[in-house]
Parts: sequence; structure tokens; C-alpha cells
Amino acid sequence: MIESNYQREFEKIAEYYEKSGGDASRFLRRDIVSIIVSGDKVIGRNTVEGVELKAKGLENGVEIWLEVKDGIQVENPIHLCTGYLKPEGTQLVLIHTKLGKAAKANFLSHCVFPNGKEFTHRMISDIELSESAKMSYEDVHFHSKDGGVTVEAIYNAHLGEKSVFRNTFHLTKTRVGKLKVEMKVNLDKEAVAEIESKVYEKQDDYVEIIEELNLNGERSSGIAKSVVFATDSSKARIINRAYGNAPYARGHIECKEIVKGGNVNVGTIPELYVKDEKAELTHEASIGRMNVKQLETLMAKGLTENEAIELIVKGMLK
Amino acid sequence: MLALKRIRYEKSERVILRNMTIEFEDGKIYAMLGNNGVGKSTLAGIIMGLENYREHTGELYLDDISLKDLGVFERAKLGITLALQEPVRFEGITIDEYLNLGGKLRLSQDEIAEALKLVGLSKEYLGRYVDSTLSGGERKRVELASIVLIKPKIVILDEPDSGIDIMSNEMIKAVVGKLKKAGSTVIMITHREEIAMMADEAYLMCGGRLLASGTPQEIVAFYKKLCDSCDHINKPESEKIRGGEAK
Ligand SMILES: Nc1ncnc2c1ncn2[C@@H]1O[C@H](COP(=O)(O)OP(=O)(O)OP(=O)(O)O)[C@@H](O)[C@H]1O
Ligand SMILES: [Mg+2]
Repeated sequence: MIESNYQREFEKIAEYYEKSGGDASRFLRRDIVSIIVSGDKVIGRNTVEGVELKAKGLENGVEIWLEVKDGIQVENPIHLCTGYLKPEGTQLVLIHTKLGKAAKANFLSHCVFPNGKEFTHRMISDIELSESAKMSYEDVHFHSKDGGVTVEAIYNAHLGEKSVFRNTFHLTKTRVGKLKVEMKVNLDKEAVAEIESKVYEKQDDYVEIIEELNLNGERSSGIAKSVVFATDSSKARIINRAYGNAPYARGHIECKEIVKGGNVNVGTIPELYVKDEKAELTHEASIGRMNVKQLETLMAKGLTENEAIELIVKGMLK
Repeated sequence: MLALKRIRYEKSERVILRNMTIEFEDGKIYAMLGNNGVGKSTLAGIIMGLENYREHTGELYLDDISLKDLGVFERAKLGITLALQEPVRFEGITIDEYLNLGGKLRLSQDEIAEALKLVGLSKEYLGRYVDSTLSGGERKRVELASIVLIKPKIVILDEPDSGIDIMSNEMIKAVVGKLKKAGSTVIMITHREEIAMMADEAYLMCGGRLLASGTPQEIVAFYKKLCDSCDHINKPESEKIRGGEAK
């Protein structure tokens, strides 16, 4: 529910929220857990039974606690929206998420910084999944056109026995600016993780991604995947890392960087570490220009090179 | 008319096409026959202007327009298209988006469903991805549907039948029939006699050259008789071959 004196602010954020692919009417529904942050204020929130939601203001941002109680399966995705409408400043968002035993929740988070000229957003999210909990977290970003946004998104997740976690970070619709994504996941016995980052870079955007799987529990398994489409004079550094620390732990890391333009500067480092002979880790990495056969197939049907690239990239980053 | 004159193409110091002169008249169906490796797909790539095949000598004309300096997109704009022998896969693109070319074709759902039906795929396929989850034959069918929808002036179908079960020859005939009705020139590369027989004219290639031309009946008979016992595969010496080089 929107606080009455923040109605106008909500409307502005909602406009960009929708541009980034969200449905803002969800924030008005009583059956959907939601929280909207603008600058350093929580301007709207709603929760349902079994989900505890607390928030407090910080000097430059907000701190949020969200707990899904044991056995609660939250039906509708939990909606988070973090906005910052001013061109300058910094925003710190701390999110503590906990899912109880066998609890289940999906999160849809949108960050909209449509006017940022000299703006820094720092998000630190710690996630705790109890035994057999299931959580998915999807983070979609919408930034300003002039590349003046700096984002640091840090996720630290601990996955209890048999829990399942899926985390995706997408920044594919607007300029990036400067971005650092760090996703670290610690997995207990038989836990499953799938983490993924997809970024489309333009002009002089800069991206740094670190994805790390710590497969500490027996038979835990995880996939860490990054896809970056780098154009113009953008730069990207990507590290995908996996530790196989327990018997029958299985991990796969994958990095795909597609480059277009003579001035890009991209790099990737896959890192695999095994501490148990029964663990199994694999990796796949590629850097290169767009698949020529794909391009030619679409161009032979009458798409221009740029139209073909857009379609291919849209598919890859989906 | 599409005309190729004295096309020569080398790759890794091997001559792949040596002196290829060939013409395709508007609105006709052609069958291109020849053993594996004689240069059929190479010829297709050269006509389409694919990157791998740009470095050749000789001339290519569509009516009086020289194609030599035109890229794939420019050739497509003139109405030329190609269905690859092994169509590529696309991650994250649905069949619906693919057939609609990401919205560029502005096709109605009915038009798309009709094209799918023609190639023997149900509407349920619309939401499937054109990625590695499609079987080889399904991917080929999607490509044929796509060709029908773009209504090309000239289309090269590089083995439309490979990977397609033999029960589906009728489907391929229906596709080619539809293209013919729409006035397209169809160049079918094929190894199947039944498909070749649909053509108005057939060409036989050997060793990067055009060896003979005629009705599909004549060419198939010629091919079976001479090429089966040929001891100089891909190294034709024209004096040895009755029927000689066409044109
Ligand atoms: N990059 C390359 N380097 C060397 N030779 C090549 C290369 N690409 C193709 N060739 C050769 O060119 C010849 C013609 O190939 P092409 O694909 O055109 O044959 P095709 O007639 O289509 O055969 P098929 O019936 O098997 O499809 C083959 O002998 C092939 O091995
Ligand atoms: Mg071939």
C-alpha cells in the first residue's frame, strides 16, 4: 500500500517500473507482498500472513528484513522496487531475507534509476534458506541513458540442506553505467543453486561480475552463468568460480561474452577448485563475435545486421 | 534471371568450384544434383553472398544487377534467400518470433499457423524455442515455414529433405508447390529422386562444375548410369563424359 503523502513519487517510479517490464498495479494489491523504496524512504509496503516485513531508514538508504515463516508458501511473487529519481547522490539498500523450513517464495525486484547522472546505488543482500526452502530472486535494472549510474549489487546466500535457490540479475534494456555484481552462494548438503547474470553493454559501460559457488555439502549442485553482450567501447571483467568441497558435489560455470565493435575490452576467468576427489566441476567459456551463421540466416530473410543482432541478443539475454 | 558466369572458388588451396556457369529463369523449379562434396552448398553460399564464400572470381547477375559487391542483406532485399542444409539454432527465440522475424513481417497468427500446418507442425510449436530442443527434422520444417512466409523471389533450398522422414516427401512437395504458385524461383539441392522429379529442370554437378542439364528424368537417368560407375569422383574430365558440359 502506498503512503498517501508519497502518491506522486510512487507514480513517477511506477512509470519507469513499467518501462522496465514490471506491472505497477501489483503494488496496490493486498494479496501481494511488496515494498517500494524511493531514495532513503519506504514509500509503500504490504505483507501477507506468514511473511514478516520490517524496514528502517538509514542515513543514505534503507534496511529491510523479510522473513517467510516455516512452511509458508507465498503464492504471488514478492515485489520489491527500489527507485531513485534525483540525478545525484548515493543510496544504500541492505536486505536480509530468511526463508523458514520448507518455505517457498519468489521475488521480483526492479531497480529504477532513470535520471542518474552521478548516482551510486549499493545493495547488499544476505539470504538464508532453511532446510528444503525454495527461493527465486530476479533482479531487473533500469538505468539512465547517460551512463551516470554506478551500481554495486552484492548477494551472499546460505543454502540449507536440500534447499533450492535461483538468482538472476538482468540489465539488458538500458545503459549500464558502471556495474559490479557479486553473487556468492554457500551450499549445504543436497542444496541446489542456479545463479545467472545477463548484461547488455553500450558505449563506455563497465561491468564486473563475480559469481561463486561454494559446494560445501555432499551432493550439493550449482550452476553459475554469465552472459555479456559488449558493444562500442565497453569493458567487462568476469570471474566465475566454483569450489567442490564435498563428495559428489557437482558444479558448472559458464561465461559467454559476445563482442561487437573494435573498441571493446572484455575478459573472463573461470576458476575451479576441488577439495574432494569425488566432487566434479566443469566450465565453459567463450568470447567472440556474434555467430555469423545466425546473423546471416536472419539477414537472408531480410533483417538488417542491426535488426538481426537485436533479435539474437534479445533471445540470448532473455 | 539469375546468372552465374565462370565462378571459381578456392578454399585451403583446393579448387571447390572451377568454372561454374549456370542460369536460373524466373518462376522455375530447379533440382541440383551431384555427389557429396561436388560443391552444391558452396554454390548456394556464393549466390547468397555468405561471408565464407565471398572470395571467388567470376560474375553473378540478377537480371542486370551485379550481385558481386552486395552483402547478404542487400541480396535478400532483392528477393534472394537461402535455407541452409544445416539450419542454425537460436537460444531464446520462439518459433513464433522467428517466423515473424521479431515482428518485422507483421504476420497474423492465422498466416503463421497456416505455414506451420503446411510443414506439418501444430500450433503448439509456436511457443517452442528455435534452439537445440527441436529435433533436426523439426528445425528443418521451421525453416521451410519461414521461407514460405517471406515469399522470396529466388530461394535456394539446400537439401530440404535431409533429416525429414521419407513419409514427408508430400510435405516438401506442398512447400515447393506453394512457392511456385507464388511465383518464386526455387533451386532445390537434393539427393532424393522423388523430390528432384518435381523440378522443371535439373542440373548435375561434378567436381565444382556443371556437368549436364536437362529434364529431371534425363538427369536422374544420366546420373545413375554414369556417376555410379564413375572412377574419377569430383575430377571430371569432360571428354570422357557424354552429354558434356551444359552451356
Ligand atoms: N573450409 C574448407 N576447407 C577445405 N575444403 C572445404 C572447406 N569447406 C568446404 N570444403 C570442401 O568443398 C567441397 C564442396 O563442399 P560442399 O559443401 O559445397 O559440397 P556439397 O555438394 O554441398 O556436398 P553434400 O552433398 O555432402 O552436402 C567439399 O569437398 C568440402 O570438403
Ligand atoms: Mg551440401
